[in-house]
Amino acid sequence: MKKRHILKFTALALAAGLSAGAAWAQQTTLRVFVGPNQRPDLQQKLFQEYNKANPNVKVEIETGGATSELQRQYLSTVLNAKDSAIDLFLIDIVNPAQYASKGWIEPLDKYVGGSAVLRTDYLPVYQQSNVIDGKVVAMPSQGDAMFMYYRKDLLAKYGVAEPKTWDELAAAAKKITSGEGNANLQGLSIQGAPIEGAVCTFLLPYWGQGKQFNDAGGKLTLDKAAAVKGLNAWLSMVDQGVIKKNVAEVKTPDTVNEFKAGQVVFAINWGFAYDRFKDDADSKVKGQVGVMPLPAMTGGKSATCMGGWQWAMNAYSTRKDEAGKLIKFLSSKQASAFVAKEGSILPVFQSVYGDAEVNKVVPWFKDALPVVLAAQSRPMVNDYGQVSDIIRTTTSAILARTKTPEAGVDEIAARVGRLMR
Amino acid sequence: MSMAQQHGLWSSPMLRWVAAGMVVVNGFFPAVWILFTSLKPEVELVQKPITWWPHAPTLDNYVRAFTDQPLLTYLKNSLWVATGATLLSLVVSAFAAYAIARLNLKYRQLILTCIVASSMFPLVTLLVPIFETMRALGWLNTYAALIFPYVVLNMPVCTLVLVSFFQSIPKDLENAAMIDGCTRMGALWRVVVPLSAPGVFTAGILAFVNSWDEFLLALSLNSSPAVRTLPVGIALYQGEFTFPWPIISAALIVSIVPIALLIAAFQERVVGGLTQGGLKG
Amino acid sequence: MLSKLRDPSEKTLAVMLLAPAFVLLLAIVVYPIGKLVYNSLFAIDKGGAFLGLQNYVDVWHDPLFWNATQNTLLITLITVPGALLAGLALALLANLPFKRKWPVRLSLLLPWALPLSFAGLIFAWFFHTEYGVVNDVLMRLGLQDEPTSWLLQPRWAFAAICLTIIWKTASFMALILLAGLQMIPRSLYEAAEVDGANLWQQFWQITIPMLMPSIIVALIFRTITALQTFDIPYTMTKGGPGETTETLAMLIHKYTIDYSDMSFGSTLAVFMFVISLVVTGFYLNHIGKNAT
Repeated sequence: MKKRHILKFTALALAAGLSAGAAWAQQTTLRVFVGPNQRPDLQQKLFQEYNKANPNVKVEIETGGATSELQRQYLSTVLNAKDSAIDLFLIDIVNPAQYASKGWIEPLDKYVGGSAVLRTDYLPVYQQSNVIDGKVVAMPSQGDAMFMYYRKDLLAKYGVAEPKTWDELAAAAKKITSGEGNANLQGLSIQGAPIEGAVCTFLLPYWGQGKQFNDAGGKLTLDKAAAVKGLNAWLSMVDQGVIKKNVAEVKTPDTVNEFKAGQVVFAINWGFAYDRFKDDADSKVKGQVGVMPLPAMTGGKSATCMGGWQWAMNAYSTRKDEAGKLIKFLSSKQASAFVAKEGSILPVFQSVYGDAEVNKVVPWFKDALPVVLAAQSRPMVNDYGQVSDIIRTTTSAILARTKTPEAGVDEIAARVGRLMR
Repeated sequence: MSMAQQHGLWSSPMLRWVAAGMVVVNGFFPAVWILFTSLKPEVELVQKPITWWPHAPTLDNYVRAFTDQPLLTYLKNSLWVATGATLLSLVVSAFAAYAIARLNLKYRQLILTCIVASSMFPLVTLLVPIFETMRALGWLNTYAALIFPYVVLNMPVCTLVLVSFFQSIPKDLENAAMIDGCTRMGALWRVVVPLSAPGVFTAGILAFVNSWDEFLLALSLNSSPAVRTLPVGIALYQGEFTFPWPIISAALIVSIVPIALLIAAFQERVVGGLTQGGLKG
Repeated sequence: MLSKLRDPSEKTLAVMLLAPAFVLLLAIVVYPIGKLVYNSLFAIDKGGAFLGLQNYVDVWHDPLFWNATQNTLLITLITVPGALLAGLALALLANLPFKRKWPVRLSLLLPWALPLSFAGLIFAWFFHTEYGVVNDVLMRLGLQDEPTSWLLQPRWAFAAICLTIIWKTASFMALILLAGLQMIPRSLYEAAEVDGANLWQQFWQITIPMLMPSIIVALIFRTITALQTFDIPYTMTKGGPGETTETLAMLIHKYTIDYSDMSFGSTLAVFMFVISLVVTGFYLNHIGKNAT
């Protein structure tokens, strides 16, 4: 009898211990790094939803890196030290190639189903930016692109149609600014400071001529004459008074603040700006903002710069399987529609742009779709950090007129050429 | 009273006021500009011509500064870290400085050079190994992770300042104390340190301000919001595409106030105080 | 009796006093420096092969390295004496008897209280073409009709950066010099006045010599930090226009953080160390000789 008791007791204890152990062992905590401006509050809601479906997985957010720069500074230290504390990060669209080349982020093919998944309904540009050496290294989460904003009221007042080429835009801007007679009114505002956006300033008129910066293998295919022509297009607009003379000082917030204050007719900026113009308490242009695709160079086609944020997995993570499942959820259509509705964040899925519920909240996304479809990715190369630095510094110097376009383009071709072979 | 009587030039009050005026404008202007900015709404900053005093002063930015982020927590963290680092820096540097200044060390020159040389490497290149060390010690996201490196960062300045002050104190005073039965350590704390009070307070203020302002290590080692320090916190008000000067200005004012108070409290000690004409003969 | 107190325990005392400093240095600086030198000799980002001195040769041949070094040395040459003179003036002024001393002394130290990176951003704003105070004041005074783009012209940008650095660091210098001024016994001035020396002679024969140790200390650290100038040009111009205001520390930051090329970045850091050592070498000798 004693023996039976002991046996029963042991069996029960074993069973209890095993199930407790199993439950305890299954409880995973994933840590996710999100910048404070990528709506950690919305991500938090997504994580709560995920937790409901997967009760054994808890997700903690670590917020840091207010800007791409600060984020890079922090992640650079942490990843060089091969730290495993963070499992997922939300990184800028330009970073995956560089991080992958350092072995910092894990290929995601086995978690999301291979690169073929990016061809279904995702924006086409992600096949360029997220696939390195045939492997998927990041999954899209938040989309963004550079748009051309304009003052609907002013264009209507002077009977100007939406310009389709840069020449038309310059003419329209001049007509409006001379008509208004306001010395503070700028025709076109672009960013010329040596910030990441200046890479786009260089590429926009270049792409607008139908040219490519690099081939699929990452080799530089710069058409110098076209690059010079593109840069001269900006400079001639400065000379005509359409763009202000100290354009090399203009950063993204400056364009936004000046347009909001009613001092700009046309402005190139990222998608987030739309809400600022529409909703900010101190915005003087509410209800007067139009969005259109960027003009093309004469004889070329409209092109724009793709931006946005991607989910990547820490290669040193110790919880890769769970992290992989989370990434799949976060880059799903439901997640994209959710952040689109709740945060007016540009979707990464084509079909979401036309989703009825999304359009109720953000009707302008319908107009945004053609722009985003034409968006191109900046060069996805291992040394993107250096390439970006060369392009933006040189472009800014050209706009500050301390270098001629010819000399600047030669420099870019030489230095970037050495890196992108 | 000291030098003014001898400086006939400065006895002209007009010249003194002009000079004082220039110094005050020089020191206060940026701080005052930031103060004015903290009272303006952001849209006022792109007006032309620019405005100095705000059109309609508002305290909204201060409210936002405290609500957008836990500014008080950052303030507390900075105070703990800077105070801890300063006190420890002073103790460690005073010991080392005394050894260098007073003891007959064979390699005195080399030791001093080594200490100073440690500041000749840019911190950004030492970041990753320091991170690894702190991680190995389990000190990431604690005050210790910052205090100990800050002591090392402050050591060169503090040690050198203290060495030069200790050297200028005549040895006879210590010898007198030791004849009276003091140990060398006692002589250090009872004679040398009090007499070099200006130097000690100078080294202290330098260490404090350096620790208060440090950014790179604070960003990398103490990233958790609970232990974040002010410089890192203030950098977080900006966005990828926004730079809210008014809110940042409000936060900057909040971060300058403790230092200004500290300086105002201790400037007597540094400048006047204990050694006013104390060294006779 | 004195000799008994001195010899036996002196060595142990020395070890005890220096131990905390050296333990901390070893743990926090020596190991990273060792790693840094190691990094410069191996291709740690691309496989880990032994490079020998290849990185050093590459740096030597890199025109951007020479450009950055030149800019850094120029900044050092301008801002070290500049800050010394400004600091000395401020210290002497702060030492004068005013009825209320705190405004002058606070204004002396307030620049020091502003975090370095924000000082750069604030002055960049002051020098902004459209929204800057400098242009506003100059135009109100009628000294110019059109706003000047200070930061978009290499020479002016360089000058603006040096001015900001001097503004920020003069208070550091003043702090050290002020403390030194207080250690000068009043009796020396009184004796000199009795002997008929005027204030100019007093300044050169009493103040400066007595202040020399403090001046040297202030100069050493101003020089070391000048060679490592980063925050102010980084926030004001990001090295622009082009690379005309790029310093060595900015180049190192670029390679280490932006390009994630720790190997090359570490090599540049070694170069910076050598340059710092050479430049401050003779200062340090002077301090050593002064030891009693």
